[in-house]
Amino acid sequence: MAKARSDRGRGDGDGIPATPAGGVMSKLTSRVRFTAMQARVGVLILLCVFFTIRSPFFFTSTNLVNVLVNGAVIGIIGSAMTLLLVARQVDVSVGSAIGFAGAVFAVFARDYGMAWGVVAAIAAAMAIAGINAVAIIKFRVNSILTTLATLVAFRGASKLVMDGRAVRVEGFRFLGRTRFEVWGIEIPVAVIVLLLVVAIFYVVMRLTKYGQQMYAIGANPQAARLAGIPLERQVGIAFVLTGATVALAAMIVVSQVGAVSPTTGERMEFLALTGVIVGGASLYGGRGSVIGTLVAILILAVLDNGLVLLQVQSFWQEVSRGVLLLGAVVFDQLGRREAEVRMDV
Amino acid sequence: MSYVTVPGAPLLDIRGLSKHYGTIRALDDVSFTLDRDEIVGLLGDNGAGKSTLVKCLAGAVIPTAGEVYLHGDRKVFSTPAEARDEGIETVYQQLALVDIFDIPANFYLGREVVRSGWRGKLGILNRRLMRKRARAAVEALPARFPNLDAEIETMSGGQRQVVAISRAGFWGGRLLLLDEPTAALGVKEAAAVLEMIGAMVSSSDTDMAMIVISHNMEHVWSICTRLLILRQGRLVADLPKSETTRQEVVAHITGATA
Repeated sequence: MAKARSDRGRGDGDGIPATPAGGVMSKLTSRVRFTAMQARVGVLILLCVFFTIRSPFFFTSTNLVNVLVNGAVIGIIGSAMTLLLVARQVDVSVGSAIGFAGAVFAVFARDYGMAWGVVAAIAAAMAIAGINAVAIIKFRVNSILTTLATLVAFRGASKLVMDGRAVRVEGFRFLGRTRFEVWGIEIPVAVIVLLLVVAIFYVVMRLTKYGQQMYAIGANPQAARLAGIPLERQVGIAFVLTGATVALAAMIVVSQVGAVSPTTGERMEFLALTGVIVGGASLYGGRGSVIGTLVAILILAVLDNGLVLLQVQSFWQEVSRGVLLLGAVVFDQLGRREAEVRMDV
Repeated sequence: MSYVTVPGAPLLDIRGLSKHYGTIRALDDVSFTLDRDEIVGLLGDNGAGKSTLVKCLAGAVIPTAGEVYLHGDRKVFSTPAEARDEGIETVYQQLALVDIFDIPANFYLGREVVRSGWRGKLGILNRRLMRKRARAAVEALPARFPNLDAEIETMSGGQRQVVAISRAGFWGGRLLLLDEPTAALGVKEAAAVLEMIGAMVSSSDTDMAMIVISHNMEHVWSICTRLLILRQGRLVADLPKSETTRQEVVAHITGATA
């Protein structure tokens, strides 16, 4: 309950003239909002404490770095997904886009060398982003439907590119397997990339004119349009940024695994979306932060990791993810209903 | 801000403005002029063409025919932004505020100020400057807000309306268009909003005029100096308030004089 209220703020009802109560109300709101973020961090800490008590392997630097590595790819695309949700958009094609960009990367790297592989992967990710953006902006197709179509199409396209068989990628270690030693702990490049991407999206969303306008677009598209905000352009940029994170994620995945298979990237869109929504973003736009997304993705990664360490049957991982997502969605809906009731008055 | 002005020309001059949707004449050959400091009530029944007229002036609807002159200079608006650049501010019936933003962010919606130097090139917002200017503007108003940082969604309908109107006044300009500013409000709140509109015009030292659309003649009557009455897309009466009566105005609205 506390979470739902906090993410949404509360009205003091209609028809009440200006009173100092508004000030108290907003103080309460901001205090509760702080608690929402605390709640997420609290869950993360509780899970860590629980798994540390139950397994001697959990709280070791090697394992914690593994948790971060497992969350890195999802966190990178989740950052872009947060920006999309803030503007009331979504991209469920990212899983297939990672598969397709990875396949193109592997094939080009094999046939023409690594540099061409990188160029081709970026081009492939941008092509999908471009198709999504054009369909959504020019033809005004709903973003869920558009990206559902590209999700299906590019899963098939990636199988075409790799002829239905896995393709090995030799000698591309940097993004996925290189580690830097910092204070005696080996930090993988993927984790550094994750932190950089989160930092960039944080600055863009919280401090820039672009970010501010994206929140406005998501919260009230009509008001944004009347205020002269170029909705199409801003949303288009978000899909292009998503394409950039997809290219990055694809190369990290390929580098980590050393190969691309017909299932590479599968279900990553759902993992990212789960993280973004558990992280406080709303499908109805205007809400969400990359820090929330990062914490939520760490919760999911810790949960997966801990359950494996405790040798819990793997089906429980999926059940626990589903429960978390359902909980977050219910909270979002509760908060939303409150807002709607107030606006109807 | 400086605009092109022709000496002696009226602030607003509309000539033969029409908007046709197929065979429907939403607005039919409307002409009138408006001088600075005038507050004009635009009255008419549903479908009389009030909103269409305002939207044509605001750049939200492109007229089928007719000309609009501001200070003698002919203007053609194809987007709301173009009208705004010429000093026409509109307060829409559905408010057009972003609920999750505070007052400064709503004031600067779509016109956000970035910092100077390299941070500005990166599009980094200058929140402090926007807040300072919005605070100064709000403090000059008769309406009091308990907390400038409160999000709009924590405010009542009347407070929101005041924010929307203050925003239009904040950007000033030449012409303020208010589309049903009191329609969704209770009696007390409507009175407060009207008081605030009156105060805004009387305190403004700029050359400004205002067109207020309303169904409610009483509301318009209390603040206007002149009344324009539309019926079936045509301008049927243009009366100074001092030379007319409520009965006459109602008769024009309903067409009982014809």
